Amino acid sequence: MECEGFREDQLDVLYGEADAATTRRVEEHHEVCASCRDEMAALRRVRRDLAAWELPKAVVPRPVPSRRPWMGLAAAAALLVAGGAGLVLSGAEVRRDPGALTLRWRRADADLQALLARQEERHRADMAALRAELLPVAHPSTTRPATADEALLRRAQQLVRESEARQDARWSAQLAAFGDRQETQRRYDLARVSAGLSYLEGKTGQDVVRTTELMGYVLQASQKK
Amino acid sequence: MSKAGGPTDEELVEDFQGGDPRAFDILVSRWDRKIQGAIYRIMGPEEDARDLCQETLLKAYRALGTFKKEARFSSWLYQIALNVCRDRLRRRKSRPQVSLDELMEVGEIAPAVRGPSPLDLVEASDLSRTVAAAVESLSPEQREVVVLKEYQGLTFLEIAQVLDVPISTVKTRLYRGLGQLRQRLERQGIRAAAPLPAWTP
Repeated sequence: MECEGFREDQLDVLYGEADAATTRRVEEHHEVCASCRDEMAALRRVRRDLAAWELPKAVVPRPVPSRRPWMGLAAAAALLVAGGAGLVLSGAEVRRDPGALTLRWRRADADLQALLARQEERHRADMAALRAELLPVAHPSTTRPATADEALLRRAQQLVRESEARQDARWSAQLAAFGDRQETQRRYDLARVSAGLSYLEGKTGQDVVRTTELMGYVLQASQKK
Repeated sequence: MSKAGGPTDEELVEDFQGGDPRAFDILVSRWDRKIQGAIYRIMGPEEDARDLCQETLLKAYRALGTFKKEARFSSWLYQIALNVCRDRLRRRKSRPQVSLDELMEVGEIAPAVRGPSPLDLVEASDLSRTVAAAVESLSPEQREVVVLKEYQGLTFLEIAQVLDVPISTVKTRLYRGLGQLRQRLERQGIRAAAPLPAWTP
């Protein structure tokens, strides 16, 4: 029972948190109590063993982000939206013709410059709106309900999804155009092969006629003899 | 915590609450590594400590506006990290797992070959892995205290604040945890000594 009263003090000494009086009291007890002295030595050995546990190299900290996560997410969303909107505003039209998607530019270059200017204005407006929404997050002294964060997250996710859909359409259109070009090239190549075969066939036919005439001539000459 | 006479954590919190978002970046740079290490040691290699650390920092970022100045930032951050770990452990419990070691201890299965296998010998020589397995075998409460004390270097008072329990409870958990670690390490052939006596505070 007397030894149990020293356990807390022993831990203080073990971890260097004991004041001078406590340290002296524990040391005096150890002088007369072999059990507690051995126990202290065992605790020190356990501590030495524990120090051998090293973190694996895989557990390394990520670089400190230079921006807040919401700012990064919103900026990425705004960039994707602006890129997708640029495709639409600059006059691109994705049409689904039978069998293929086609991408075509509906507007002339002069109109395109004006559209790009309007696109720039809309891009700035989108950025300003997002910045205004994120202001409470950057200054948390104004309490922001969790539902507002969730709504913002949903909106950002929606913007990203819409942008991804536009990107998909754009890639599909480009693939379709690439497919069209490949088909044209394939037909051109087939025509060339066909022409080449015809030429060979014609040449072969002429050779056959010439050979037949020669054989007839040889036959006639042999009969005259 | 302050570095080379720089602002303390609590001063940085004030700066952040006053509208300086860069203050949080400094806090993250100070605590990211330590929190991630604590999470890894508490959760083990099965969980991605980086993800749980990010979750901790995101929760801290959201709640820092309501941080009370009478608490220490580090204690508050450790509280969040431990809650994240406990949530994950609760979810892990819904997927029951039984370790081979436990089955052997209760006699459910017996080792096919007596004596250490070559793999055992290799692992036994790796003290770091042996210690990690020993700490993982502790109860979550003991593991938290051992990690916060041994590897994070918190004082008993700080641990009591993080866990919201009396200092005597912290010491009891630590003493029992160290006793179990000693027994476990001895079974692994690390030491040969008598077990620590029981402690009934």
